[in-house]
Amino acid sequence: MTATQDLTTQFRHGVLPQTTSDEFSRQEFVKSLKFHLASKVSLGNHDAYEARAKPAYTKATGAEPQTYAEIRKAMSEDPYFAFWSAMQRNSQEMMWKSVQIPVERQLPDLIAAAGKGAAAEGTLRLNPDLEIPKYHRGVDIHCMPGGYHTEFTADDVANGAVYDTAVYIYAMGRMGPLNSDIGDTTIAWIKENHPDFKPRRILDMGCTVGHSTLSYCDAFPDAEVYGIDVGAPVLRYAHARAQSMGKPVHFSQQNAESTDFEDGFFDLIVSHILVHETSNAAMRRIMKECNRLLTPGGLVVHAETPPYRDLPAYDAFMLDWDTRNNNEPYWGASHELVATEIAAETGFDPAKAFEAYQPSAFEATERRTKVFQGGDFGGGGAWWLWGVQK
Amino acid sequence: MAEHVTLQKKARGERPQYFADPAIDKTLAITLALAGEVAVLRDRIDTIERLAEAGVAPTRAAVDAYKPDSAVRAERDAWRDTYLDTVLRIIHQEREELEQRAADTKPYAAVIEEVVAGG
Repeated sequence: MTATQDLTTQFRHGVLPQTTSDEFSRQEFVKSLKFHLASKVSLGNHDAYEARAKPAYTKATGAEPQTYAEIRKAMSEDPYFAFWSAMQRNSQEMMWKSVQIPVERQLPDLIAAAGKGAAAEGTLRLNPDLEIPKYHRGVDIHCMPGGYHTEFTADDVANGAVYDTAVYIYAMGRMGPLNSDIGDTTIAWIKENHPDFKPRRILDMGCTVGHSTLSYCDAFPDAEVYGIDVGAPVLRYAHARAQSMGKPVHFSQQNAESTDFEDGFFDLIVSHILVHETSNAAMRRIMKECNRLLTPGGLVVHAETPPYRDLPAYDAFMLDWDTRNNNEPYWGASHELVATEIAAETGFDPAKAFEAYQPSAFEATERRTKVFQGGDFGGGGAWWLWGVQK
Repeated sequence: MAEHVTLQKKARGERPQYFADPAIDKTLAITLALAGEVAVLRDRIDTIERLAEAGVAPTRAAVDAYKPDSAVRAERDAWRDTYLDTVLRIIHQEREELEQRAADTKPYAAVIEEVVAGG
């Protein structure tokens, strides 16, 4: 990126869908609606809780709600919360619609553009026989129709293009022109805490279109960078995107629970908002796989939003909204994970496990709400990192 | 021209119902979509005006190809926020009322503490 890069709009790489002025305006409306809900409407939920839901719950049960689950119970019938939730859900569905329109219109062009080679020496390895895990087949995560893996035509890149555009709208631009804030923030933490760490090979698990993956090419120019995902359309798109930007990454279609890399192949394994889209059993299998893949002294770092125990109960309740309203079935349980416990269960030394917060690398101060809440992704201004050193 | 591909419209998974009558869920969805389409139309008028001001004929092709720069995008962001204040008036009205009621539930001692602490 050059110094003249516009930081207030999505970076135009070689396969980003084009938009007509109307299509772009429709997407901008969704972005504005999301920001309006997050910054001006969502806070009314707290007043509704204090003014009526909490007193009603206390009267009925004889005790104030203590946990986020009790607050959810107290708020379950509140009309302000219900209406906000309904609008929030709609903003999500409208977002997917607004990005599907231009992708549907130009899909053949996008597929053709993705097929053209470019400067970088990256590779793409697909596996049509890969079994898509149950946790991705059950519901379409975060309401994206078809998820990461559904193919609507031959050599399909549709849901890669849909996801790339939608993430920019979903985060309201607060993850930067490349949607790379989670990767950049994880890298900043690694560099601050392991200044002499020089990984030879890096693996990004659940890389989707490579939003975070490409940052590792710049941060560790001597390392080989690998990205895996279960979805073929996102990987084809990721490969084309990386090639157009001159970033050499080796993408392959694999399940992070069981990969075909050799033992000890990687020094650094990272994931960015992967964990909450798996399951309790899968998460443990992934960590066992990380243990196998890491060289001694190697590091695994997962980036997510904060665990509920670190938040006031009301904030945890608001962050938990996605579990029941945004097709994120593992969101809630994943926010209860404890790094030392997982490390101990998966063959790591729990003493070498860590949990940390790192402020967002991308500056978007004026548009951050500084709250972790449903429908306000990237608004908190920090990411929660957990993992372990082997 | 390659064959047109239709993408999946509905995300798999049961959609939550937020209101007692499912017709209200649908009506809200349609209302919000319409609010969006009004904003799209308003941007289109704004584009026509800007092209005309710049001495460019506001043909369909010129309008469709128009790319707002960061200054125009910022102006439109501000317009949409005010527009949403207007469209969602009834929500903001309720929010204001709840804010007042929530403040009233606070014990007087807590207000003293707040003022002393400089809040």
